Amino acid sequence: MRRRFVIGKVLGALSTLVFVVIFNFFLFRVVNDDPINSLFRGRNLTPDQLERLRVKFNLEGTKWEQFVAYVQQLLRGDLGYSLKSSRPVTTVISEALWPTILLVGTSTLIAMVGIVIGYRAGWRRGSTFDATATSMSMLTYSMPEYWIGMVALGVFAASLGWFPVGGLNDAGSTLTGIERMLDQLHHLILPATVLAIAYVGEYMIVARSAMIDTSREDYLQLARAKGLREAEVRKHHAQPNALLPVVSLSAINFGFILSGAIAVESIFSWPGIGQQTAFAISGPDFPMLQGLFLMISAAVILANLAADLLYGYLDPRVAGR
Amino acid sequence: MQRRLLGLGVALAALGSMLVTTVDASTGDSPVTLTIGLMQDLDSPNVTVGVLVADYELWNMQYATLTDKAADDFSNIPGLAESWEASDDGLTFTYTLRAGLKWSDGEPLTADDVVWTINTSKEQEWLNHSATTANLTATAVDDVTVQIVTAVPDPKLPTMDVYILPKHIWEEPASTDITSFDALDGVGSGPYTLKSRNAGQDWTMVANPNFWRGEPQIDQVVFRVFTEGSAMVAALKSGEIDFVHDVPSEEFDALKSEDGIATVVGQQGGFAELAMNGMAGGLGDGHPALQDINVVHAVAMAIDRQALVDRVLLGQGEVIGTLGVSPDPVWTPEIPEDLQLNYDPEAAKQMLEDNGYKDTNGDGIREMPDGSRDLTFRYAQLSDSDTAGPNQQLITGWLKEIGIGTTVSTYDQTQLTDVIASGEYDMFVWGWTPFVDPDPMLSYFTCAQLTTDVESAGYNDANWCSEEYDALYEQQNQELDREKRVDLVHQMLTLFYTESTYVVLYHDADTQAYRTDRFTGWVQQPKDTGPVLFSNTSPSYWSLAPIDAGGGTTDSTAPGSTDNGTGTTVVAEPDGDDGDDGGNTGVVIAILAGAAVLIVAGLLVLRSRRARDDKE
Repeated sequence: MRRRFVIGKVLGALSTLVFVVIFNFFLFRVVNDDPINSLFRGRNLTPDQLERLRVKFNLEGTKWEQFVAYVQQLLRGDLGYSLKSSRPVTTVISEALWPTILLVGTSTLIAMVGIVIGYRAGWRRGSTFDATATSMSMLTYSMPEYWIGMVALGVFAASLGWFPVGGLNDAGSTLTGIERMLDQLHHLILPATVLAIAYVGEYMIVARSAMIDTSREDYLQLARAKGLREAEVRKHHAQPNALLPVVSLSAINFGFILSGAIAVESIFSWPGIGQQTAFAISGPDFPMLQGLFLMISAAVILANLAADLLYGYLDPRVAGR
Repeated sequence: MQRRLLGLGVALAALGSMLVTTVDASTGDSPVTLTIGLMQDLDSPNVTVGVLVADYELWNMQYATLTDKAADDFSNIPGLAESWEASDDGLTFTYTLRAGLKWSDGEPLTADDVVWTINTSKEQEWLNHSATTANLTATAVDDVTVQIVTAVPDPKLPTMDVYILPKHIWEEPASTDITSFDALDGVGSGPYTLKSRNAGQDWTMVANPNFWRGEPQIDQVVFRVFTEGSAMVAALKSGEIDFVHDVPSEEFDALKSEDGIATVVGQQGGFAELAMNGMAGGLGDGHPALQDINVVHAVAMAIDRQALVDRVLLGQGEVIGTLGVSPDPVWTPEIPEDLQLNYDPEAAKQMLEDNGYKDTNGDGIREMPDGSRDLTFRYAQLSDSDTAGPNQQLITGWLKEIGIGTTVSTYDQTQLTDVIASGEYDMFVWGWTPFVDPDPMLSYFTCAQLTTDVESAGYNDANWCSEEYDALYEQQNQELDREKRVDLVHQMLTLFYTESTYVVLYHDADTQAYRTDRFTGWVQQPKDTGPVLFSNTSPSYWSLAPIDAGGGTTDSTAPGSTDNGTGTTVVAEPDGDDGDDGGNTGVVIAILAGAAVLIVAGLLVLRSRRARDDKE
């Protein structure tokens, strides 16, 4: 039974991925067939030169031929060339991956403080702590990260000068090793804090309502009746059961880490996936968008799969027996 | 537990102080660096691949050319070649290189490099070279003498502004596929060469000690890529960067009044136009009314160009109605007063009325003289343009006033290119930026550039052409006397203004700003009207000198003075205060210490609460 659950989930994830590959390809081709003319407008190129560019960007032949070539490329791990930078899409993405993981990963981890706060608030529903935490979370949750980012940048970077205005390193810096890491940390603090502020409310609110739901369960009364201390009831009986919604939220959010944070990365000129996405959209740079969408979809699908499997482990009822 | 927390606090504090140390180190004894903020990354440092403004700036810094262009007026001045001679038939040019030229890596730069670059770029049709080298053949007479023969008379010669590449680096990649070369070698002959690049973030150019004019006075120039215009302006104000290219127009006015910051509105001949479908190519389904020049003129007179400059460009542009064919204003003619199509909606209405375009059914929109269809035009605009929306609202409003209706569609650049090629439009708004020589821009509106087959689209997006214009084009293309050529071009542009289906809306500008407290020697190209960096050859890089470097600007060999043979006039500098870079360390320490204390305190409180909970 268990095995069937796992296989089912894995197959589901794979078929979603295949669908994404196909959809991805045709979506962009429907919008736009041949970007070469506009890309090299006013360049005085000969038909020969244009032809060569079409071959390079896989724009030759019918849609079907292009699709076959695309899938063959994909199986070789090749995502083609970016129209804008003429560099391999895989190179551009892999360069942007680390800054994004650093930024969004750090802020997601910081934001998980929200889970602890949410549990406490939910456990002591109606207390001053709950009221304060809930209203604060609603406030930060509803503030657009773009706005928080601009304010933070204006105050802490531009006016006070405590932090750099943007970037991952000091531009042109030749630092290496630990000094380079510290320089990156200095650049990281502001954008990571902004993102964490934007994320924390979501965790807090989900964790709080999960805890409130759980706290009404009869088995908690039973535990108390057995004479367990309140802290033990919370720790061993309430929290594990309030974990499920939080786990799925976290897993999905971890998938989205790789999609970067377009708004915050743009404000802070952070060279990550979000910034690359913004660049690609403004092009529009189709091979790049195609590659980014594929990578982001794959990450979210994998994270969902992980969440499903973890769910099955945490709550055996889901996996069946 | 408490002890462990104490340890954590100490560790955080240590980390904080290390952070402060690095901040200190970066402001200490470092090379003199000019930092430039821009909103564009390099696409490729490879000159046979890249097409962006950022790339050209890199190549202008890294590769010297045989002949250079004067900063003031683009006139032809010596570059790698110190002199040249033309044969009597104007087809053969002999260039003499300076003695002892060297690449930045110390290798000698000889006639061989020049010949290899010209001939190989022609054979392999390199993207940025082939327009110039297509008809040329070069031979090396000796190490310092190059003979270039052109197959057809070419008024652009003896200007040889192609980037000469180091053969010893490029020969190998050119033997297979030159476009796949990463070009991070950083070997060049210009004032600066590429040292390093972090894609998506920044690139660094270092001074070339072997530059033929001498080593520049700034050690390195760092280009920093921003993705948010206001953040870039904030970095200029805080002194993190020294120069901003493409200041967002909404921030530009505020910067003008900022102390210690100078602003530049640099014209490069770039313009925006309302193009109407003249149907000369024969493809598509353009509105028949637009083949009547009276309707085209009525449209032109309905448009208030001054209002567009004031309200769309927020003043950063020029009300010029003729085609921009070069950043050099000498090519722009004065249109005689009686031919000018100035804003006059009443005259526009009268012109339509007189030619039979009347509103007979009273719906506010005029009809064709035979009543067959409304004067309602399809108006196409670009999606990825800040000016498209405001332009469209104003223009369609003005057209409505004279009884012309519009239906608006929005396209991205690729789609609009296709729409134009297929001829399935009535009007669209787009723009061009010309080269220094007017020939390419002029060539776009010849009959040869009409699109008659969608598969091989031409550049003529006016979809208009005339025999008279073509004849003048051929003449200017072979006229070797500059005065006469200027006159021919003026005739062409006047003809284009009065007869074509193109209404030039305005000439736009590069908005730039720089700090006045760090560097001096900014040069506008062309003089008074051009930008200071990102111009055609960007002469500023060689003349810039640090203000507080002791004598940088008083050096008599520096081009800081006018008329030193480079045709350079330096922008007069307002006095600026010296920058104060290192004042933030204390604040950073305080913040970090504060943060560390807060974290530790927070953890302690949580801990003690939990301990109390456990006892409940």
